[in-house]
Amino acid sequence: MYPATLPLSDRLTSAHAETWQLIAQPGDFFTGDQRQRMVRAAREALTCHHCEQSKAALSPNALAGKHEDSTELDEVIVDVVHRVRTDPGRLTRAWFDQVRRYLSAQEYVEIVSVVASSVIVDTLHNALGLGVPAMAPPEPGRPGRHYNQDAVDAGGWVPMLDASQDMADTGLPTVPNIARSLGLVPSATALFFGTFRPHYALKDIPLSISQAQAEFVASRVSAINECFY
Amino acid sequence: MLLRASSQLDQKDYDLQSVTDAHTDPGVAHGEHLRALTEATIRGDWLNLGPIRRRAEAAMGERCAVDALVVAAAFNGITRVADATGVPLDDNTAATTVSMRAETGIDDFAYAAKSARYDESA
Repeated sequence: MYPATLPLSDRLTSAHAETWQLIAQPGDFFTGDQRQRMVRAAREALTCHHCEQSKAALSPNALAGKHEDSTELDEVIVDVVHRVRTDPGRLTRAWFDQVRRYLSAQEYVEIVSVVASSVIVDTLHNALGLGVPAMAPPEPGRPGRHYNQDAVDAGGWVPMLDASQDMADTGLPTVPNIARSLGLVPSATALFFGTFRPHYALKDIPLSISQAQAEFVASRVSAINECFY
Repeated sequence: MLLRASSQLDQKDYDLQSVTDAHTDPGVAHGEHLRALTEATIRGDWLNLGPIRRRAEAAMGERCAVDALVVAAAFNGITRVADATGVPLDDNTAATTVSMRAETGIDDFAYAAKSARYDESA
């Protein structure tokens, strides 16, 4: 996926190649074809007129209308994908509760994982001037429908992985809430964090920039995206 | 929140206001280049990112500039996971960052605050 001349770790380039393969395969609640359509929808969201108008509106929930979409996914799924891609900082509990009338929490978690994983891959490609990567043909097969029946309500919008709250020397629990957040669907956790992990560590970051420089970049991204966590 | 932890581990003072204030010097090496790379990447300003990257590479070296993009890309994804799942702050973080969150304006991003702001104005 990346030219060998770029100073990227083998771990990262291998992880991204695997991410692309995994998205093309059936997940636990969507087929490979549907998952790839979510990636396409996320890309289309960036030029969606409705998203642009919603982002300019005082409230993202104030505007009637439809997203521009060629994926033929269900319109609720398209709305989730477009909002997560273009205006994540203004997602609200009321919007989520509306979505939950049409999608199970498991389906929602898988959509978020696919979109967020593809955002990482596409963002790095675009930032390096490569353009977004092509997708291989989707693999056939049915969703496995596996999910974590022991997931718990820990104050988030979806049930999370039940994990020890023992503290690590980073000042965070050994399993921080963000690492638990997709825990309702283990394959969704594996997809997203398999993509994310080669990019960052809470300590001894395996990059050429310092931990503090990495935290500054991370903090600025969080602020631009209006992310509380 | 994490920049604060880095500050404690490094025993250095980083200006946390720089997280939400684009004009405050963060106090980290090559802060202005890191900020420019991050802003252009997250805002999708690909036209300007090329020259910004070349300036950053001249100052920091190619590997460092690319690694800044690596971190920015990762957090462009993980912030979406956090926001889409309404994940709560970890207890220790919530307890130890009360004043910092208020001072930097991060509390404005809290999910309850957003819901009150955006749902009521719909």
